[in-house]
Amino acid sequence: MIRWWPAAAVGLAFAVAALAVITILTPSGSTPDQRADALAGELRCPDCQGLSVADSPTQSAREIRRQIDGLVGEGASDDAVRQHFVDRYGEWILLAPTAPAAWILPYAAILAGSIALAAWLRARRSSNAPPSPTLTEDERRRIRADAEALDA
Amino acid sequence: MRRTRWLLVPIIVIPVTWLLLSGFSRDPREVASPLIGRPAPEWTLTTLDGETLSSNDLAGRPYVVNFWASWCIPACVDEHPVLADAFARFGDDVEFVGILYQDDPAAAAGFLGRYGDAGYPHVMDPGGRMAIEFGVTGPPETFFVDAAGNVADKNFGPLTDAVMAEKLNSIMPAASR
Repeated sequence: MIRWWPAAAVGLAFAVAALAVITILTPSGSTPDQRADALAGELRCPDCQGLSVADSPTQSAREIRRQIDGLVGEGASDDAVRQHFVDRYGEWILLAPTAPAAWILPYAAILAGSIALAAWLRARRSSNAPPSPTLTEDERRRIRADAEALDA
Repeated sequence: MRRTRWLLVPIIVIPVTWLLLSGFSRDPREVASPLIGRPAPEWTLTTLDGETLSSNDLAGRPYVVNFWASWCIPACVDEHPVLADAFARFGDDVEFVGILYQDDPAAAAGFLGRYGDAGYPHVMDPGGRMAIEFGVTGPPETFFVDAAGNVADKNFGPLTDAVMAEKLNSIMPAASR
């Protein structure tokens, strides 16, 4: 079990580093156009299969993009723009769930499953192993005597 | 240990089967509308006859808003007689409005000529703004608005007679049912 920890630690370090790089390199979207682009990338195109509004050329996607531009131009915050569409479509319109639990749950389930599997394999291995030999005092005495006889 | 191992089978298989069955038995586009119980979006649109029709014109009366398209086949063709029949039976008490979803007015008129025009108005939605206001993901979708102007119910997909009767109950005055 212990010998997996270095590999797991290296994997975790890579994941954290990748996340940091993505966070640093992702443009913050300071201009209205950049903000509208970013918001269009977060919203689901209603009549597509898993595409964002930014990636779709359908009439619905174009209309949503037009409304985003209008709302951003009127000074609406990013949250207000998202809420505008959530009020019409529900959370479904957001490509990424807003509740932190929705992100954590799959990883927690995988972790819990791995721990349960590891515990089960360990228990199985220990139950299959032959019982550790325990010597009686009489046996010890006999072995000692045999060893001394060999040494002599 | 051998006995507990067999317990793992139902523990894993039952939830996975339940997840698959519940996932595959519903259309992923069928989303619960947040509009239910809230005021219906207001609109002013032009009918296929070139007249202006507004949600204000329907104020104080329950109405049915049906998003449809001539290219929506077979779903819109299947539900067309359901809407026509409901309008013939309950049109005195409930208003019916069709809103074209990403469709050409000439194609929509051709559809009505081929499958029958029940007589209620159909309005155009250039750009699809009203479809976004109602949170439509694709035709046919139908919204049931009560006399107070609130969205009482919604149907995703083609209406059947039974579904239409059930949904109309949510907006019609009891005396007229």
